[in-house]
Amino acid sequence: MRNKAELLKVLSDCVVGMEDEAVVEAAEEYIAAGYPAMEGILKGLADGMQRAAVLYEEEEYYIPELLICSDAMYNGLAVLRPHAENTDSQKKHRIVIGVVEGDTHDIGKNLVRIMLETAGYEIHDLGRDVALQKFVDKAIEIDADVVAMSSLMSTTMSGMAEVIKMLEEAGIRNRVKVIVGGAPVSLAYAQRIGADGYSANAIEAVKLVDRLMGADTSSLGIAT
Amino acid sequence: MNTITPRNRLLAAAKKLPVDRPPCICPGGMMNMVFQEIMEESNCPWPGAHTDPQKMAGLTFALNEAGGFENYGLPFCMTVEAEAMGATVNLGNLFFEPHVLESPLNSSAEADLLRPLDVDAGRARVVIDAIKLLKAAGTDVPIIGNLTGPVSTAGTLVDMSILLKEFRKKPAEAQRLMEYMVINLVKFGQAQIQAGADAICISEPSGTGEILGPQLFRDYTLKYINQLMDALDDAPVKIVHICGVLKSVYHIIPEFNCDVFSVDSIVGLDEIKKFIPNKAVMGNINTHALAVMPPEKIAKLTRYAISRGADIVAPACGLSTTTPLLNVQTMVRTTIAESESARRKSGE
Repeated sequence: MRNKAELLKVLSDCVVGMEDEAVVEAAEEYIAAGYPAMEGILKGLADGMQRAAVLYEEEEYYIPELLICSDAMYNGLAVLRPHAENTDSQKKHRIVIGVVEGDTHDIGKNLVRIMLETAGYEIHDLGRDVALQKFVDKAIEIDADVVAMSSLMSTTMSGMAEVIKMLEEAGIRNRVKVIVGGAPVSLAYAQRIGADGYSANAIEAVKLVDRLMGADTSSLGIAT
Repeated sequence: MNTITPRNRLLAAAKKLPVDRPPCICPGGMMNMVFQEIMEESNCPWPGAHTDPQKMAGLTFALNEAGGFENYGLPFCMTVEAEAMGATVNLGNLFFEPHVLESPLNSSAEADLLRPLDVDAGRARVVIDAIKLLKAAGTDVPIIGNLTGPVSTAGTLVDMSILLKEFRKKPAEAQRLMEYMVINLVKFGQAQIQAGADAICISEPSGTGEILGPQLFRDYTLKYINQLMDALDDAPVKIVHICGVLKSVYHIIPEFNCDVFSVDSIVGLDEIKKFIPNKAVMGNINTHALAVMPPEKIAKLTRYAISRGADIVAPACGLSTTTPLLNVQTMVRTTIAESESARRKSGE
């Protein structure tokens, strides 16, 4: 039997090492040994994803590697989460995310979702090719703190500016932060359309949202 | 030199032969060249122009006639190939270009379920017929046919994130799917050349260095684009466009089998030129600027691209449908004027 510290390291190593099958065994062993599930999530799985993010920033990892790491993390979460003590007493910041209408490229959006989830935010994913009004409706419905949009095509990116106008018309623009991203999008573009923030990749997106929320990330969900 | 035709100028510039000035073009395909204003003016609006060869040819013809780009470029999207092989496509509307709604495969292991691309059917045929119509018009304007890159096409037939993971986890299956892409894209490319295309442009919005990293970029993007280009050796001009930041793959770019390499607006033209002294460099006017900025700013960006060594002046990506015709005309006029003033200065 491996002890808790060893198993936490295995969980983390499985995620960063893209072991999306071995992570399940490790998670099961961890639960069978009676160790606390939430600690396994925080100090094992999420830690591994943070390490993967560092490797991405160092250009050791690219998108395929991050995607396999996140599969490993979710496979581990599927084992640990049912055993995790309820930590939702603290209100999490809520984020609506989606790819704007006309565009079905969603890898970037999915990675942003994964990294924000790892950091403890509550994500409402509208998917891709999302009708613009849906961003507004969902933001109202869940009382969102952040609306995150992406567009990977220069033909569809103007939809993000439309959503900002629609949020204004709906009278909730000052209640939400709007962040945008995607290959043809730049910081200058984000500023021009009146967004609150832009990030070039999923790792930066977490830092951006933390900053906009004035974050004390330690109080948020599963963040370490 | 004064009598050089737009076709000969493009052919010469692509081979790095002396020309009076760079051509100012936009290839089409992923690098969409048309927009609402010209759709309305020519009465060839989307989505109809995606499925009717008369309207497809008419639309790109009208843009050139209106003082727009010095080429014809078609189709106007990157879904023709995927649709022909089995993807479900929404043809969009006046604002949105066609996009894939549903990928037919759950994994690259299912490549056998795909339909072979038939150049005599569907929108592949529309493209071929439109090229024939443009050829029959007998102008001296070059016709650029387009192919969506093998990685990008595969990434719409299988969900892109699944494909990316399988590049690493199931390379044998992924390679079989990629080989299927090449066989079918070759058919479409050859038919475009036979119909009269003067150039073939392959664009990879998904198979980029930024997304894949150098190893997978070499193993997939480079390998399969080169297989495709090797088989399309009859193309008078071969253009490759890779989206995004290229820094991690600069050293691989010289290995592409192409005459012209086209880059995104984030890439410095002078920087990429150092790596590919034997290829013509094309680019890279920001398409967002083309959509929203005043003509003076477009003129400035065009002059800047020429000063940085653009052998061919072109947008950095596909045009937004809200782009004003005046900005495209300004880009073309500035290319002409700038080169004339440069020649006067150098005492020719």
